[in-house]
Amino acid sequence: MENLAKNEIIKDLLPRKFNATGKLWIGVLLSLCVVGLIAYTRQLSKGLVVTSMRDYVSWGIYISNFVFFVAISLVGSLITAILRLTDVHWSTPLTRIAEIIAVSAITFAAIIIVVDMGRPDRFYNLFFHGRLQSPIIWDVIVITTYFFISILLLYFPLLPDCMLLLKNEKKLGKRPNKLYKFLGSFWRNTPAQIKINECAINILVITIIPVAFSIHTVTSWLFATTYRPGWDSTNFGAYFVSGAFLVGAGGVLMAMYAFRKSYKLEKYITELHFDKMGKIVVMLALVYLYFNINEFLVPAFKMKKPDQEHLMGLFAGDFAPLFWFAIITSMFLPVLILVFKKGRKPLPAFIAGCLVVIGSWIKRYVIVTPTLLHPFLPMRDVPPSYRHYFPSWEEWAIAMGSLAGMMLIITVFARLFPIIPIQETITEIEQHENA
Amino acid sequence: MRMLKNIILPVLVVLLVDPLLFAQNATHDLILNPGYFNNNNQVQYLKVNTKAKIDGKFKPVAGIPVSFYISADAPANLLGKAVSDRNGEAVLFIPPAAKDAWNRSSKQSFFVVSAATGLYKSTSSDLDITKSKIKIDTIAGKKIIATLQELRDSVWVPVKGADIKVAIKRLNADLNVNETPAYTTDSLGTVAADFQRDSLPGDARGNITLIAKVEDNDAYGNITAELTVPWGVPGIYASDFNRRTLFARRGLAPVWLEITSFSIFFVVWIVLLYLIVQIWKLKKLGTQAAE
Repeated sequence: MENLAKNEIIKDLLPRKFNATGKLWIGVLLSLCVVGLIAYTRQLSKGLVVTSMRDYVSWGIYISNFVFFVAISLVGSLITAILRLTDVHWSTPLTRIAEIIAVSAITFAAIIIVVDMGRPDRFYNLFFHGRLQSPIIWDVIVITTYFFISILLLYFPLLPDCMLLLKNEKKLGKRPNKLYKFLGSFWRNTPAQIKINECAINILVITIIPVAFSIHTVTSWLFATTYRPGWDSTNFGAYFVSGAFLVGAGGVLMAMYAFRKSYKLEKYITELHFDKMGKIVVMLALVYLYFNINEFLVPAFKMKKPDQEHLMGLFAGDFAPLFWFAIITSMFLPVLILVFKKGRKPLPAFIAGCLVVIGSWIKRYVIVTPTLLHPFLPMRDVPPSYRHYFPSWEEWAIAMGSLAGMMLIITVFARLFPIIPIQETITEIEQHENA
Repeated sequence: MRMLKNIILPVLVVLLVDPLLFAQNATHDLILNPGYFNNNNQVQYLKVNTKAKIDGKFKPVAGIPVSFYISADAPANLLGKAVSDRNGEAVLFIPPAAKDAWNRSSKQSFFVVSAATGLYKSTSSDLDITKSKIKIDTIAGKKIIATLQELRDSVWVPVKGADIKVAIKRLNADLNVNETPAYTTDSLGTVAADFQRDSLPGDARGNITLIAKVEDNDAYGNITAELTVPWGVPGIYASDFNRRTLFARRGLAPVWLEITSFSIFFVVWIVLLYLIVQIWKLKKLGTQAAE
């Protein structure tokens, strides 16, 4: 990468129009979003009765999805903030990928919460009549804050690139140019501007770490402050945060491979990046495994009666297939693949990333739903539908629509903006050459 | 062949199906257990417990229509009808119209009859009671005196040798006044119990309710008498409604929580506002550089 000329870098990294595969991909995502919207319209007109949620399971696939979105959004702080603060330079091509994943995920985390509400028209009450003692209000505050920080962290490093994008109007088209003008026409790359920009980015990367930890800790407290088998745990904050870093890193592995392939970025996202990210995923998977052991071994050792029902349901009961699938796919298999050098090549690393993301999504479902089906007081005189939960087609459509929506934001962003920071890459090469 | 199809087969089908139909229509025996109640000289009522042997166990039966009669099992003496609830209990308050029949004698007979249903046979039971009453009073030294009397030839006479429970009425169950749960009446029909629950919470004035009762007595049924005495500790209700707690309503969060959360919130958002100001500065610098 050191020998690349500046013009070649700009040419390689400028956003490109979609090819046939890209258009097909957009079509699939849009279709899923439309189906989700249709399902949500049905839910709005008929009420939450179209879902399979009833008196006991009042948090189903929507809240599982919410926890997943919040979790994956933490990758912004991992790649951008933690690696930048520790002076790790190899992560530069991955920062924007991580940040756009964070922004899109946190956007849909907020949306899916509104979807879960029976009366979305009352959403404003959370802001105007919120109860400060409730972790739900803490979550609303911290998600809003994290959203703004992520937007700023995406925006500030984008400013130098805006100048380069404006210079390439002919290639990129007039309409995107209007957007670039609006966002960064004032950028002149003067030393004063560069200094302010760097200072702002440094402030952001320091600010985002405690906020990112808070966002997922508070999300875990939505569960842990409730006295229920499976949620009544002091381990939940650390358990959630470690899981979030894992799924975020897995998501980055997937996105790295997809962008590398579709935009031919082999010179910029190299095998070294897969190697380094693969090692990070192994470490995070082992850390998450450690917290899982803590989370399940201690209550299983004591086996209090209400915990017993819940744990046996997970280990050997109705939820056992999902539980073990989640544990194996999100932790064991990725470690088995990525612990070997050959496993950290692009394709196996991509597969490991997919396993982490799929397993982690199911893990969130396993955290949310089984507990609700095991209340302290036995269920009596309730219809059979209250005793089980399997999402309705509307819930599936909305959940898949929201996942598609998240990927749509990332795809459209990559169509409009360089997915690898151009100016930062050039500066790093220049600094390297000067050194 | 036609004969087999048209006659023998239908006959066989009827013969096979008929026992099943009979089996479904088989009825069970029902047991009616009537009781008489007079609580603190209020309106008396009758309660019938219905039960039947189902799967080898006696279980209450819901939905049994029961007719109640006074003096004799005849339509003219009908007091009323009730249907057993999910606990197998059918309750009927003795109506004012039965006053003449009630006053006719110091002893009274009641009859209960359940109508036949699809599953249970019609059955009946009866109950004889002697009119009685309990008086409850207190004397110095926190002693409770309860007297049981029965009506005999229009005269109230003391009852000897009956069991009386003396207790304090609480929300869900009664609490004994001391370690002895029940007393037997003497020749004056009287029992005496020492009150030994000194620090018992009462109402705002410290009032508690004493109760003397005869339960499931063959002759008198179930009768109680109550007396309110200021022997409890005044219960002062301290409302947490306006106190700042984690479980309080909106606007009453603990001060430490408000200070902590608002401080964090403002520090973070001041940083964000500072960064937005930096964007404005960058714009200004860009405009200057362009000029």
